[in-house]
Amino acid sequence: MSIIKETSPHIHRKDSLARMLIDVLVSLSPVSITAIIVFGLPALRNLLISVAVMMAAEFVFVLIMNRIPYDGTKHTFKEQFLHGCKAYRIHHILAPIVSGVIFALIMPSGSNPGYVIYIALILGSLFGIVIGKLVFGGTGQNIFNPAAAGMVFAKLCFGSRYVYGTNGYVNAVSSGGTMLSDVASSSSSLISRYEAIEQYSALDMFLGRIPGTLGETFKFAILLGLIYLLIRRAADYRVVISYLGGYAVLMAIAGIFVSVRGGVNYGQWMAFSLLSGGVLFGATYMFTDPVTMPINAPGRVMYGLLGAGLTATIRLFGALPEGVAFSILICNLVAPALDHYTYSGNRFTKKKVLFTCGIFAAFVLAICLGLGFTGVAA
Amino acid sequence: MIAPVTTIADTKGLLGTLPSLRLDVPDYIYTATDNARCSKSEIFVKEGDHVYMGQLIGMRDGGFFKQPIHSSVSGIVDGFEEHYHRSGKKVKFVRVKNDHKDEWDPSLKPRSDEEIAKLSRADFSKILEDCAMVGLGGSSFPTYVKFNNDKKIEVILINAIECEPYITADVRLMEEELEKTIEGMKYLMIAFDCKKVLICVKKKHKSLIKMYQEFLRRDENKGISVCPVGNFYPQGWEIAMIKSALGIDIPSGHLPSEFGIANFNVSTVWGIYEAVKYNRPVVERFISVTGDGIRYPSNFRVRIGTPLKVLLDKCGGYADPEKDKVFILGGPMMGASLPSDDCIITKTVTSVLVFNHVAAEEGPCIRCGSCVYSCPTHLEPKQIMDAVKAFDKERIKALNPLRCIECGLCTYVCTSHIRVTDYIRRAKMFAKTK
Repeated sequence: MSIIKETSPHIHRKDSLARMLIDVLVSLSPVSITAIIVFGLPALRNLLISVAVMMAAEFVFVLIMNRIPYDGTKHTFKEQFLHGCKAYRIHHILAPIVSGVIFALIMPSGSNPGYVIYIALILGSLFGIVIGKLVFGGTGQNIFNPAAAGMVFAKLCFGSRYVYGTNGYVNAVSSGGTMLSDVASSSSSLISRYEAIEQYSALDMFLGRIPGTLGETFKFAILLGLIYLLIRRAADYRVVISYLGGYAVLMAIAGIFVSVRGGVNYGQWMAFSLLSGGVLFGATYMFTDPVTMPINAPGRVMYGLLGAGLTATIRLFGALPEGVAFSILICNLVAPALDHYTYSGNRFTKKKVLFTCGIFAAFVLAICLGLGFTGVAA
Repeated sequence: MIAPVTTIADTKGLLGTLPSLRLDVPDYIYTATDNARCSKSEIFVKEGDHVYMGQLIGMRDGGFFKQPIHSSVSGIVDGFEEHYHRSGKKVKFVRVKNDHKDEWDPSLKPRSDEEIAKLSRADFSKILEDCAMVGLGGSSFPTYVKFNNDKKIEVILINAIECEPYITADVRLMEEELEKTIEGMKYLMIAFDCKKVLICVKKKHKSLIKMYQEFLRRDENKGISVCPVGNFYPQGWEIAMIKSALGIDIPSGHLPSEFGIANFNVSTVWGIYEAVKYNRPVVERFISVTGDGIRYPSNFRVRIGTPLKVLLDKCGGYADPEKDKVFILGGPMMGASLPSDDCIITKTVTSVLVFNHVAAEEGPCIRCGSCVYSCPTHLEPKQIMDAVKAFDKERIKALNPLRCIECGLCTYVCTSHIRVTDYIRRAKMFAKTK
């Protein structure tokens, strides 16, 4: 027995990084299992490909970052390899699995021609993990969400080849696209294009019986995951509430214009806004990534509201059908600014509340102006 | 887990509020010459001299104040030895061979109640300075300084919260020395000419609160009352205590006395009673010895100057002797770890903890924000840590680490087991230099 000197405090909360990552994996399991049941082998294939690519990239990264320090002698590859393996930790396995599963779930199940999906998955996950995370220094250092970065890259490169929802479970009305892409590619005006949304019932959207990506259409499974994450405190409820709440408020305001000027059923509009696309999935698994969000409570609320505003405006006015991944990436960029030391702090000061309200009011104003004066004449 | 910590899980099956054991005074008693606040000292006795209990044997010099050293036992001065002090330094100790008679110095005269009633605040200050009273909660701040002002004090808070987990020495003191602590509070009311005393106790000590409330019914309308506060950590921090007891938020950089508040630890109150009533310095105190590295965790009432090994023997020695140990004086959150168990109990040692060493590897920070949410002083430990790593002095100063009270919550909550508090300590050093 020897006596060891250490600095205070001497006790620790029972908690670990691995526990947090496993919590996220557990919360992802309902969505993944539903996806595998509904889409069958392609879903399993997609999950395995992206997880394998991300894990391999992280492993190579660990080897590169943990070489033997220069000591004058030359080391064989085997020595270097074994030395690098010693630095391999449990979070180096779990973190890429989490990113890989999320990435696979926001990608489509197949493509036309069929081989493109392999290229999209491999290049997307490589881009996501390398450019989104590893170049900044690995877990905890990244400023971009790896899954969102990879998804956006793959979408920009291969988006036109995607095929959504090609199985019996989905009530496919259009072939190939999603509800949102149908709306976005519609040639009619900003508001009147929403007449098409009544072809799916709210229940269909909730159960995921609409065309969409591998995982983000199964709202019930995502809600289960969200509840689990919040109970286990593996996700910050501030971001989830401010993002979903802010988005719901903005869409409710937009809905007034759409239903009054476009004649769309208001209830159907709200169901469409909240249950289509990746809003719920993004709020549950991507906006809650603690690494890429601000560190204090006011910053996190602002981050969520900013994401809500961006998602709503991209969706209402943007050229792209879906704004969640883009708004996540833009918010990731803003997060360090929200953390700047000259004004950061964990207290909701009057200035911060006013500033947040100002940003939110700007989004409300943009939506009111955009939908109030344009868009009906077809 | 992204969640702030408000309560720290207490250990089940370790100590509880076990009644204290009264230890026989050992054959040799050690008295420190220097201590954490005083680096110089002068000793008036030499080898072979006879000393009484409570006799002045030396004087410490702490720069702007002097502190008398008293013998805590009667006997023969036997020599000088080096042992570890609470502060982690090796310090010279005066060794006194105990004659087991416990004779008090005959020059220490007790005061009658009438005399005490006539004492002024300045008189109290003088008495406490002569008795070398310091804050016994662990701060070792000279108590008389608190009497050296003439601000109007409206309420006195007695800190009996003992917010650190595992230790219950103050609870034992309050239960076993109830009348003396209440008397001490009455003296404080005389000193500050104040009508209100609040005893702040954790809500969970229900029997203790009941006991005090029952006893205080005898002195109804005298102004002393029990004020149960939450079981939070760091509730014993004076700012947090004032906030929950009185609802007053004291901004950082201000003293409680500016708001008409004086606060004392409950063991200090006990010491004040002994000093004012009998003119005696502190010679005894309550100590918790606990932790998972101790075979039989116990509370003790010991003579100041007892070597720690005596206590460890009484506790049945170390549990799991093959495992490495961490040896802590003070609580598990803020206590100092010592490199050796060759240590002496001084006035300000509140508890001894022995833990089996658990090597926890630091992971990467994932910015979960638990440290930011937990910080009682509303700092951002993660941001300060980043600034320290970048040696960015400007950023460190802007983040204001000097507000930190080193409660240790940021390290306690860290998901990745990073010792965040160490970085904050370095930031404080940076911020102090120009």
